[in-house]
Amino acid sequence: MFKKLALLFFVLTLTLPTLVSCGQEKGTIKIGLEAPLTGDYAYEGQGFEKAVRLLVDQTNEAGGLLGRQVELIVEDDAGDPTQAALVAQRLVDAGVVAVIGAYNSTATEPASEIYNEAGLLHITPSSTATRLTQKGFKRFFRVCFLDDRQGLFAAKFAKDVLGVQNFGILHDNSTYAQGLAEHTKRYAEEMGINVAFYDAINPEDTDFTPILTNIGAADLDAVYFTGYHAQGGLLLKQTGELGLDITWMMGNACNNPELIQIAGLENAVGTYVTTEPLPKDLEYPEAQQFVADFEAAYGEPPSSVWWQMAGEAFNVIRYAIEQTKSTDSKVLAEFLHNEAKDLNGITGPILGWDEKGDRLGTIHVAYVIDENGEFVLHPEQPE
Amino acid sequence: MQFIQQMINGITIGAFYALVALGYTMVYGVLKLINFAHGDLFMWGAYLGLTSLNVVLGLVVQGSAWCILPAVVVVMTTVALAGVLVERVAYRPLRTAGRLAPVISALGVAFILQSLARNIYGASYKTYPNGITPAGGFSIAGSARVSVMQIIVLVVSFLLMGALYLFIQRTRIGTAMRAVSLNHDVSRLMGIDVNRIIAVVFLIGPGLGGVAGMIVGLYYGSFDFTLGWTYGLKAFIAAILGGIGNIPGAMLGGMLLGIIETLGSGYISPQWKDVIAYVILIVILIFRPTGLLGERVAEKV
Amino acid sequence: MATMENTWARLRKMNSLWWQIGLIVLAVVLPLPMSDYYRSVLWRTGLYIMLGLSLHIIVGYAGLFQLGHAAFYGLGAYTCALLNLHFNVPTLLTLPICVLVAAFFGFLITRPILHLRGDYLCIVTIAFGEVVRLALVNNIFGITGGANGLSGIARPVLFGMALRAPIYHYYLMLFFLVITIFAVQRLENSRLGRAWMYVREDEVAAEAMGIDTTRVKLLAFVLGSGWAGLAGALYAGRVTVISPDQAKFMESVILFCVVVLGGTGSIPGVFVGTLGMVTLPELSRPLKAWRDAWLGVAMVGMMIARPEGLWPSRRVRMGLRGEQNEPTLAHAIDE
Repeated sequence: MFKKLALLFFVLTLTLPTLVSCGQEKGTIKIGLEAPLTGDYAYEGQGFEKAVRLLVDQTNEAGGLLGRQVELIVEDDAGDPTQAALVAQRLVDAGVVAVIGAYNSTATEPASEIYNEAGLLHITPSSTATRLTQKGFKRFFRVCFLDDRQGLFAAKFAKDVLGVQNFGILHDNSTYAQGLAEHTKRYAEEMGINVAFYDAINPEDTDFTPILTNIGAADLDAVYFTGYHAQGGLLLKQTGELGLDITWMMGNACNNPELIQIAGLENAVGTYVTTEPLPKDLEYPEAQQFVADFEAAYGEPPSSVWWQMAGEAFNVIRYAIEQTKSTDSKVLAEFLHNEAKDLNGITGPILGWDEKGDRLGTIHVAYVIDENGEFVLHPEQPE
Repeated sequence: MQFIQQMINGITIGAFYALVALGYTMVYGVLKLINFAHGDLFMWGAYLGLTSLNVVLGLVVQGSAWCILPAVVVVMTTVALAGVLVERVAYRPLRTAGRLAPVISALGVAFILQSLARNIYGASYKTYPNGITPAGGFSIAGSARVSVMQIIVLVVSFLLMGALYLFIQRTRIGTAMRAVSLNHDVSRLMGIDVNRIIAVVFLIGPGLGGVAGMIVGLYYGSFDFTLGWTYGLKAFIAAILGGIGNIPGAMLGGMLLGIIETLGSGYISPQWKDVIAYVILIVILIFRPTGLLGERVAEKV
Repeated sequence: MATMENTWARLRKMNSLWWQIGLIVLAVVLPLPMSDYYRSVLWRTGLYIMLGLSLHIIVGYAGLFQLGHAAFYGLGAYTCALLNLHFNVPTLLTLPICVLVAAFFGFLITRPILHLRGDYLCIVTIAFGEVVRLALVNNIFGITGGANGLSGIARPVLFGMALRAPIYHYYLMLFFLVITIFAVQRLENSRLGRAWMYVREDEVAAEAMGIDTTRVKLLAFVLGSGWAGLAGALYAGRVTVISPDQAKFMESVILFCVVVLGGTGSIPGVFVGTLGMVTLPELSRPLKAWRDAWLGVAMVGMMIARPEGLWPSRRVRMGLRGEQNEPTLAHAIDE
């Protein structure tokens, strides 16, 4: 009896999709969002959705785009490349005009192949792996900066402002952190800094006392941690508990108030953070408006720089559609390559994009955590 | 001097592994089951500890370390009851269902627990309130540093383990547990209610695990829902290292694993730390599967 | 009801070859009216059926715990990628090498642990799986590309045409899948297959009957691992990006569940298991954040209700239930 049911189940599951036809809302402009809503990066992915949905709702309330409502189609890739390939296919089939996503480079890469073959405009908010823009995809863009820009900045800051001679670099083996660490190392060595310590932590750990003990004993002028704020906070906390005297620099994934919460204020004071400027430090109001709106809608400010990047990506698409009055991916892509310049972005001024799709310019600044637990701009910035 | 500091680090981590390993080893001893869900019960201890601590802090005027005690009691009871519930629902029906079924059931429970934690508490890291636990420490042997918290953790761990050991060796229920872990049928003949004993095991093991979770949360300050997986696997390695089913073995295994991992992390690289732990496991299983102190499980032909 | 029983009985008595041909025709025709997304889902279903069958040899036939199987899947994918990227070997030609490499690693890894009994074997295979994954993440020997993996693998080229669209990959997959199914069926009814099942049922008795249990178990692992490597290479050719995530423990768990939940010891069981563990969750995306919990509930519930799985082989079912389903001996042997 069971076997018959199983057979029926088998046949039904396979044929059901072909029998079901999806009802499509006519007349909307569909924008796709591919993000890790579940899995290891759920925190970031869910933030993506919040940021983009806020902007979509605002757009629709203001009358939509080109007179049509914007429909946001969100797909979960769980940060996994296989899932990414599948959901990319789904978004293509759903007839979206452009896609924002994904979060991690491992997921963005297979998805970008599929979007490229479908000719869709594809903007990633946060995937910084260099090779994504080396494939010659005409419609692929980034709103985040490549790791090498931040690495260069970090090296300059260490040398020019902190006067570092013996430098340590610590990453966590993730694509983003490792890439940033490698670039920082390269630039630092070119500038004559001695990178005396270069290692990686395991982000799933909570206890970093072994590696910290090593760092403490290694007589380094500063250590640059390129990983994420959860581990950054633990590193700071345990540094304090071990009573070690380490000067910490951290990358833009540690640009998050939770860093201080996890570390404990007394352990976090004096830490340097290299990052894109915070909205409060930008000279135009659009960024702060976004932060205020986000807080009004969700009860908390956008705590991760990547969430802001996701919002940024949507704004770029919206801008392109408004300016070109078109939803043709080819037209939009050409517009972004050739004519989009000097936009007031949430994450800082957008100078434009190069022919590979990378964001131009470099706008990183160094922050330091003060006694009030605030990120303040460091008085000295390298040029 | 650096070595001494690393040893201190290692012993601290080892104490945590040992506490969690106890739960694994006890359950395996009586049921011959790898309770994959144990690590997630430990993780729930950390979450529940946070919630109950916040509730207690909300009730008192001035937060202090004494607030921890009622929270610990709440956590221990809740997780212990959860452990019994899991055993009843997911493991007891499968006692006669072969070897594959309990493994899958245990994995299923682990997924449910993890998913519940992620959905209820959210995907981001959670932090314990600052300033509750005593801070500060002192230096020994030059610049090696021991913190007050570390001492407390070690003392508490040893007390708990010692209490458990005495319980197993000296009380009637403890003796009954040892009997059940040798042979179910003969135990029944001796008048032992095997089901009740197993329930007690699932009270104590997960209860200890839950408390360990809260202690880990207090000690490190922050965690997320993946805490259970890493600790669970490491603790299991510790249990096997010491000899599965063997309580002193779990303690020894936990300590050893913590020390070896720390030394490996400090002198080789943190990236390979887990690989070192797994290699130890593999080597032990190939050459001495009964562990360092010998296993104590029922014979299976 | 009676007439339905009769019809069903008559249908089953038909030569099973007709059934299989019918299924193949259905499989060929099925993706034609579908959109690219559903074709991709079909492709993935086929891939996991193949992976499930490779694990089925180890777990279903030989009864060995293998919770690190995804490692060989990953190894096959990386072998294909490395050969293709560094030596420009066309993807299709890498397939036999991927199989051999994965089988070789299967041999290396399992040779020392064959004497371990059930639960210990389980843990050790988990450990090996993690070691492989971590080695890939840590960029061992500098060739594995770290957490980012490798990309830019060339699509398979058949008769001068590079296969891009999902439907072509599906047919390529189907081709290999049919071969796999036939091979596994042959194995099931061969001396080796029976030897596996004896070892599964009672290892001591099997040894007493003169079966070299070590050799037999080793063969199960080697064959299963090699096949997983083949699946890995096919994956690499389709997605063109591979990462250490393919060797992660969760993958091994899913494969294990596919084999056991679907029905231990039977080939149709693998089909059903794949549908339940892979296809259905994919099609039930709206459940989103609670999918893991549902999976867990399904696993626990299934084991309690029906520990032998949905469509087990009759032998396994009888062994677990201790009951005789069929009145005549002839039917029981006719499995």
